[in-house]
Amino acid sequence: MLPKRISQFLIIYFLGLGLLLAVKYGFSLSDYVIPGIADIQQTAAAVFGRYLRAVLDTLGVAVIGHLLAIGMATVVAIVGRPDNLIGTMIKTAAYNLQAYPIVAVAPIIFILLGDGLPSRLLIAAIICYFPLLLSFIGILTEPVASIEHFYVVTGRMRWQLEVKIRAFENIHKLITVVTGSATLAMVGTIVAEFIGADSGIGYSLRIALYQSDIAKVLVALFLIGVFNSLYLVSLELLGLFIQKRMGVEQRMTQ
Amino acid sequence: MLLQCRNITYRYPHGDALVFNDLNCRLADPGFHGLFGPSGVGKSTLARIIAGEISGFAGEIKPPATTAILYSSNTERLPGWSGVGDHLAKVTPAARLPLLQELIKAFDLGSCIDSRFSQLSLGQKNRANLTRYLLQEFDLLIMDESLANVDEAIRKQIIVTIKKMFPDKYFLYISHSVAEVSTFCARILVLRDIHKAPQLIEVAGRDHHGDTALDRTALERTMLEIVNAA
Repeated sequence: MLPKRISQFLIIYFLGLGLLLAVKYGFSLSDYVIPGIADIQQTAAAVFGRYLRAVLDTLGVAVIGHLLAIGMATVVAIVGRPDNLIGTMIKTAAYNLQAYPIVAVAPIIFILLGDGLPSRLLIAAIICYFPLLLSFIGILTEPVASIEHFYVVTGRMRWQLEVKIRAFENIHKLITVVTGSATLAMVGTIVAEFIGADSGIGYSLRIALYQSDIAKVLVALFLIGVFNSLYLVSLELLGLFIQKRMGVEQRMTQ
Repeated sequence: MLLQCRNITYRYPHGDALVFNDLNCRLADPGFHGLFGPSGVGKSTLARIIAGEISGFAGEIKPPATTAILYSSNTERLPGWSGVGDHLAKVTPAARLPLLQELIKAFDLGSCIDSRFSQLSLGQKNRANLTRYLLQEFDLLIMDESLANVDEAIRKQIIVTIKKMFPDKYFLYISHSVAEVSTFCARILVLRDIHKAPQLIEVAGRDHHGDTALDRTALERTMLEIVNAA
């Protein structure tokens, strides 16, 4: 699982790098526009340690923001699950809000909360929250009639049991959605740092942009890709562990 | 009298064609009764109307207010997070735990009691599902192809056991086997095409309890009567 994810990333990364170098040498662009391999190596050696800490900082914020988003989406989906006034309001609000580019709200969050950890955390959580919420609502709203019927007709159905049945029956979907939204959490954190924070790899990217230093950007992209892959693999392994514990039949994935 | 359906008229939501037109039926006495008819004629729909799971029909159904009607079908599943035995124990009222043990034995479920539902064969799944319904409080249990995919010998054993264990309850058994409903059911409601009148005909079955020899001639006559009615 891990070698596959990492190798997929490395293939894409080096294909992109190759394309960039092809453009450089094809159009005889100067090292100032696109650095050569030697420049990239030098830059990597110079900033690797600092960027590694920055990526870990970003990843930490992304993981916490992701967990927050999962928690919020679970609670709101459970509350919004019934087909009543509150449920309808929550579903309508979720469907409408998710259509709005949430990242545009980021400046307001920075103005109100400053450029520290809370802003990064909130933006990371918000960016991955709505896709999670829509999926969770969809899963928890859809009855599993073949299992629920017995509990309903015998008067045993409780909301906890309903949620348990629907979550269990859709555990593959839930794990896929949670894993998929992990990248969004990482994106959200980097965007937040890029816009206004004072730390993290997004902040380093902003500095590299101001310096027009593509070599630094490439080093940052490499580290972001590697650690994002590690996070996704961790989530997939956690998902497999949960399924095994719950006795869910394993399906062929990928 | 437990159940009387009068002048039931029904069409599916978003459908134009009628499913039932002025349909009448009744179950007057406790026992093992059958609902028979060709595929697509509306047996499951009628069963779910009787169980109160479908509304929006014209006419009236008159069960007493205290009547507990349960509808079970072969499409149902047990949750997969625990073994079949654990699930059955959890949904069995404490007073009926001895009955659970009897049913496990009679329904030949002992060998798969520790397995999860997904690991069972189709026949075992249907038997496990039927078992949990029999452990509930009910006056009428509708069994919609509840014994599909069950071996013939075990199916016979299950029906005989049900008749022996629950003589005061009503059962409405939906099956496509004319021989089976003719043999074991007391009354057989034969549901016919909407264009035939009356849409439902009642035929007397052999109500076999498995303890005496079966009158083959009478059985053949009943089967013929059902086939002609359908």
